[in-house]
Amino acid sequence: MFQISTSPIDEVALKKRLENPKAGAFVSFEGWVRNHHEGREVVLLEYEAFEALAQSEAEKILQEAVSRFEIEEAICVHRTGALCIGALAVWVGVTAAHRGAAFQACQYIMDAIKSRLPIWKKEHYANGDSGWVNCQHCASHSGSDNHHVDKSLGFDEVHYYERQMRLPEVGAEGQATLKQSKVLVVGAGGLGSAALLYLASAGVGTLGICEFDNLEPSNLHRQVLYHASDAGQSKCELAKRRLQALNPFIHIQTYDKKLDLNNIEGILNHYDLVLDCTDNFKTKFLLNDAAVHFQKPLIQASIYQYEGQLQLYLPNGDSPCLRCLWPEMPEADCTGTCEDVGVLGAVPGVFGTLQAMEALKYLLGLPTDLNRHVLMMDLLTSRVQKIRQIQNPACPICGENADRESFLTMMNGNAEEEIDLEIDLAACSREHLNAFQWVDIREAHECLQDDFEALLVQQIPLSRFNLEISTLSPQHAYLVFCQKGIRSKKLVRVLRQQGFTKVYSVQGGVKQIQNWLKAPLQ
Amino acid sequence: MIVKADTTEKKIDVQYYALLREERGLSFETVMTIAQTPKELYGELQKRHGFRLPIERLKVAVNDAFQDWDSPLQPNDNVVFIPPVAGG
Repeated sequence: MFQISTSPIDEVALKKRLENPKAGAFVSFEGWVRNHHEGREVVLLEYEAFEALAQSEAEKILQEAVSRFEIEEAICVHRTGALCIGALAVWVGVTAAHRGAAFQACQYIMDAIKSRLPIWKKEHYANGDSGWVNCQHCASHSGSDNHHVDKSLGFDEVHYYERQMRLPEVGAEGQATLKQSKVLVVGAGGLGSAALLYLASAGVGTLGICEFDNLEPSNLHRQVLYHASDAGQSKCELAKRRLQALNPFIHIQTYDKKLDLNNIEGILNHYDLVLDCTDNFKTKFLLNDAAVHFQKPLIQASIYQYEGQLQLYLPNGDSPCLRCLWPEMPEADCTGTCEDVGVLGAVPGVFGTLQAMEALKYLLGLPTDLNRHVLMMDLLTSRVQKIRQIQNPACPICGENADRESFLTMMNGNAEEEIDLEIDLAACSREHLNAFQWVDIREAHECLQDDFEALLVQQIPLSRFNLEISTLSPQHAYLVFCQKGIRSKKLVRVLRQQGFTKVYSVQGGVKQIQNWLKAPLQ
Repeated sequence: MIVKADTTEKKIDVQYYALLREERGLSFETVMTIAQTPKELYGELQKRHGFRLPIERLKVAVNDAFQDWDSPLQPNDNVVFIPPVAGG
């Protein structure tokens, strides 16, 4: 039996409950409030617990003790609230046929309680200061290795979050909730950089990052997650490295791939909340449709030069989705990407930070009205507007007539658009293409006339492709070409199925490459 | 909806976002118009300023709520024209 108690622990009554004619040994442990911590004089302690989680975890611990040691029964009670020096904070009692098992089980239970339960204590010092101490920190004093102190840092998790735990809306319970939370951020660009930094530092326990691009020099002015020396490397891995250094107490999961109909459910299912930090309509609409379909809350943001929009979709409520406003995906040419129209880095910084803020509010259970409004902000004029939006009964995804069938149709529509096996060289910046290795799959006799020295082309004739495929790595980005772009497209389709996610066929083949090489530099 | 013909001019505050803001060269202006609906107002401004975006690609908000293009305009309404944006 485990109990969290706000009133003093009655150890005599607890011992009486354990009386058992089969028991030949009784061992108990009492944890008392002492008057010092790391050299400072302590006058009062306040315990706070994330009760639901503490209860289930403690019951697990007691169950483990029963199965590991030959004991009859075990009881543990932990106090919460304000405790004076000398007060009984935690009590463990174990009965067994023989003393050895009782001693061992009692120590096991106490060590595990200290290291695994989300219980925090706030120490009030003699000089009037106070500070939060995670009980997991205290576990290190017992010699247990299951705790969250980073030895190289010399401080533990609770010190990291101390300032935000002071907020009444956060506290120990809120911090524990954040640690339990799983948030997926799709897109680690300008919006994603800001959102990820603040979610990681706030202590969101599991952060997923979905991003398939490599870092380009032109990203650096707004994508503040990365360093100039990182250019050319996978953003997903770079982001993970940076965020793990920022907060070693969280878990980071990467998805170095493009979201599509086939993988989106498997990825979304692991998360409580999704942030849309993408920069294109295709992925925005795919994410929106999937969020409605799989009932995941989604925080969307989009920017344009000096302005941006933010909105929140909450399942099981009356919040409208993206398609309530835009039933059809807008044409790409009625807006612009950062590449075309330019952007000041601080703008996605502001909106990514707002996304992180909305995410933390959602996770902490704080109210918002952005599930019924679109927040619009023009950072040039500092004009901020919240525009009321209601659910559209005719919405093709969440409206009255939308059913599972229409979800799937919409998702399939997305999927069709998502399958882009080809790259149109004329539509890409040279910088973007620098990230790719060129692969010529023409047979030897076809290649006599051409000279692509400038491109560093790897030659693997299609007839020998299966023999030489081991020289390619599924993680690398390849541009495959042939004479006309027909064979290469077929090959790319096959390679995608084999896990090459960043391989594209050059549309129009050799001729397009020649034109592209002749075209003046952009 | 039957809209009574009314040729008296009224004052409307207009806000532009994204591509429209760029094309207009400002984000806010007050106009005098006889337009009865946001649709008529956009048509009038499109002619005057040569906006490229057709009305089907825009949304309109009146007094901080998304509205139908055919909803009636009142004097001193605040009208916001909103193109979709996707940058990130």
